[in-house]
Amino acid sequence: MTAPGGSAAAALRRKTAPGLLVEHARTWPDEVAFRAKHLGIYRERTWRKYMELVAGAARAFASLGLGAGDRVAIMGDPCEEWVICDLAAQSLGAITYGIYPTASASELEYQMRDGGAAMFVAENQEYVDKILPIADRLPTLRRIVVIDDSAMFGYEHPQLLRYRDLVAASDASILPWFEEQVSKLAPEAPAFIVYTSGTTGDPKGALITHGKHLAATSNILDIYPTLADKNHRTVVYLPLCHVLGRDIAVTLPLISRLIPHFGEDIEDFTTTLFETAPTLLFTVPRYLQKFASHILVGVINSSAVKRTAYNLAMRVARRHARRRWDGKVSIADSAIYEFCRLVAFKPILNKLGFDQLELVVSGGAPLPAETAALWQIYGVNTVEMYGQTETAGGIISGQRGPFPRPGDVGSVPNGWQVRLSDNGEVLVKSPDLFEGYWNNEEATRAVIGTDGFMHTGDVGEWRGGALRLVDRARDFIVTSGGKTLSPSFIENLLRASPYVAEAVVFGHGRKYLTALIEIDYDTVADWARSRSIAYSGFTSLAQSPEIGRLIKTEIDRTNAELSRVEQIKAFRILPKALDPEEEGEPVTPTRKVKRNLMYVRFKSLVEAMYDDREERLLAGEVAGALKPQGGLI
Amino acid sequence: MSRRMPWASGYFRTGYAQDFKLIETRLERVSAGLFAVALSVFPFVASPFQLDLACQVFLAAIGSLSLMLLTGYAGQISLGHAGLLAAGAFTAGILFKEFGAPFWVTLPAAAAVGALLGIVFGLPSLRLRGLYLAVSTLALHFVVVYLGGEYETKRGYSTGIVIDPPSIGGYAVINPRIWYFVLLAAAAATLFICLNLIRSRTGRAWRAIRSHETVAEALGIGIASYKLLAFVVSSAITAVAGALFAYYRGFVSVEAFSLFLTIQYVAMVIIGGMGSLLGALLGAMFVTLFPYWIEAALAALPGAARYASVLFAVNYAAFGLVMILFLVFEPLGLVGIWHRIQTFFLLWPFKHRQVTGTNR
Repeated sequence: MTAPGGSAAAALRRKTAPGLLVEHARTWPDEVAFRAKHLGIYRERTWRKYMELVAGAARAFASLGLGAGDRVAIMGDPCEEWVICDLAAQSLGAITYGIYPTASASELEYQMRDGGAAMFVAENQEYVDKILPIADRLPTLRRIVVIDDSAMFGYEHPQLLRYRDLVAASDASILPWFEEQVSKLAPEAPAFIVYTSGTTGDPKGALITHGKHLAATSNILDIYPTLADKNHRTVVYLPLCHVLGRDIAVTLPLISRLIPHFGEDIEDFTTTLFETAPTLLFTVPRYLQKFASHILVGVINSSAVKRTAYNLAMRVARRHARRRWDGKVSIADSAIYEFCRLVAFKPILNKLGFDQLELVVSGGAPLPAETAALWQIYGVNTVEMYGQTETAGGIISGQRGPFPRPGDVGSVPNGWQVRLSDNGEVLVKSPDLFEGYWNNEEATRAVIGTDGFMHTGDVGEWRGGALRLVDRARDFIVTSGGKTLSPSFIENLLRASPYVAEAVVFGHGRKYLTALIEIDYDTVADWARSRSIAYSGFTSLAQSPEIGRLIKTEIDRTNAELSRVEQIKAFRILPKALDPEEEGEPVTPTRKVKRNLMYVRFKSLVEAMYDDREERLLAGEVAGALKPQGGLI
Repeated sequence: MSRRMPWASGYFRTGYAQDFKLIETRLERVSAGLFAVALSVFPFVASPFQLDLACQVFLAAIGSLSLMLLTGYAGQISLGHAGLLAAGAFTAGILFKEFGAPFWVTLPAAAAVGALLGIVFGLPSLRLRGLYLAVSTLALHFVVVYLGGEYETKRGYSTGIVIDPPSIGGYAVINPRIWYFVLLAAAAATLFICLNLIRSRTGRAWRAIRSHETVAEALGIGIASYKLLAFVVSSAITAVAGALFAYYRGFVSVEAFSLFLTIQYVAMVIIGGMGSLLGALLGAMFVTLFPYWIEAALAALPGAARYASVLFAVNYAAFGLVMILFLVFEPLGLVGIWHRIQTFFLLWPFKHRQVTGTNR
């Protein structure tokens, strides 16, 4: 379909996503565009049907008065209607943006005000409940459309409409109208806004135009040509308001041969993975870590025979992986490894629906090298790519593979320029970057320099032609001893433990490093059950002394890999799970931790790790007792 | 969804019609194919004795499948199984003797008589449960056997009724290999009917009744009609099995339908595993072949000739012992053992099913 390289990007720069949809519906009307599970069946949507659905929604939106330049906010878990509403609004020239399904009420209100949406599309009643209390305070909001109205009993609000009623009347006769609407779209016009997760300060909305988005996203095909070479099944489960989620569900299917699969419900996404057995998966490190830790815990709790078989296979596979990275694999090695893979790893991968994967691309956050290595040992071609919201859907670099040595983020795609500033910051230049931040000229100027290079805020270095990220968002800790350390490096090592869900390292201006640990409830609960440790919930589990000892051994193991100044000297386990939906919680909707807020929220826990008053008090109390008391006896 | 997704990843359904597929994954396809090949090659490599055993197993399988529907799925205890087999056999025998009816008349007639008796057998079940139901079905057993015996003596066939082999297109089925395939087809057809019954509305209704009658009724299931339907379907199939038995042996006599035969069929269902069609098949195979294993085992002992006189007693005792051992140690029956083996490999290399997105 689309050949990688400059000419393809230039061609895409003159197109729009709705325009490509119309083209596809004409060129291969009966090919499957995506599959969406509904009442147990993966309904196949052809390109023609896809266009009809989008056209129907567009017609409905137009009749509600939506026009060019209006903003449409969509909130909810990934589903086919999310994508259809998005493209429908785009076809009318409206600017769409997604809001994280896990956003709290204040975040929602902020983004509704900042974006100034005229229409709010809610996936189901849950999000209607979130918007209704603030709807009357939003001057620009005219309509609220709810997609899944199954729980909507007794809702009455003048602005509230049901998606089903809106599209009920649509038929094929509106297609000429739709095609005319789409042909009027300018590729240079803004298409959508993506709000950055905002680990520092309020989220900023990156404005992206139709043509540049398509051209930028096509650089993923340059690194991963397999996307265009053959049909690939993939699963849509990442939030669509994130630029990576949009790439997978909307854009890449239009410019490559990726066929997205929507599950019945985001809660069942492991089932969706299993049933559809994707051949290509885009993911974020969190899921790879979670699946890997579940596998490890499963093996630990397995019977002795099975565990031994797994361990033997792992021994062979580790050596094979090392040789593969060094490019020194012999045929005998491969044969033995293939046998191990068949006996031990293939059954594991099959249970996850991972056994047909040809490529796993991790993005969105740094992928710990251990995690990548483990999946490669299992025989999954795991690569890491690096992009930002501001690169408009494209990536800054990506590991080409197959089976690249983990640790870097690969090489730069064709037609893009990356260089490092004097202090190591990664700078990127391309004709296809974002337009600027919505309503925030100042922030835009801070990011885009006069020379056309965009400042990523990440610190990197070159290693053998590949970009390696030293730290994201220049997040360093300087200890009182004057040592500069990268907390994210240490946190990644801690998170490699199956029992640790989240780790936050502190120590700025202190003598030593400490960590707050959020336990992985599933695996720790499993561990506790297998040892008959009683607990009643998250808090009681987190505070149980046995779990404290378990986490201690995990931390000791991590410390063994660290230099002395990097070692964690004290830790505390969070008494509750971090929940982005809660007000004032120190995590972003994508579960990235805001370090400063974390400190504010759990100040007493952190200070207790540095506080020595207690010790002195205790020492004072027992001081006399420990001294030899002559004369009494 | 009426059926869970298969245990292997990557098989998703894009239409409800795919829900009806019995064979879905590649492993299922391959193993079913191999099994079919093995079954069709068997008569050409087996001895006449082994061939006869296989035919007995098929006949027993038809009977045990029908009892499994009634007892294992609908939860209705019946001790009239031998009586129903006798009814089918005598229907075929009498129709043949009195009217010279061909098999394509006698088989449906046997089914009709079976269905009729099913209603009679089933009526008590609307009021009685458990032991009381068992006793009432037992009564019908004796009635049928008594009537059969009366017919034999009154018509002068006191040693039994001899039936000619059935003829298909003027060709008499005498060859054991042909019999093998006829009975195999009959057993396969029965299995197919049962499979489709239990995965449809009827089967779900039966299982609901077995689990809890009151709840089933609250769900809108007509208890009376579904109970009767279970008796009718099961009895009709059983009677056909009886008729086939009569043709296969070429001989009908009341002596063949003792209460011990009923016990054997109940044993097939229990040893095979309650509530599983595979269990019914395994149970039929086990119970049919078990006496021959005992015999072979005794023959292998030193001084085998001396035990020949006690063989019958040993067989009975061993059968009873096996029943007790199964009830105590493996209440889920042979199919329970099979599922454990299956689970061991399906979960490999895990022990528990926590990691998976699988549905089983």
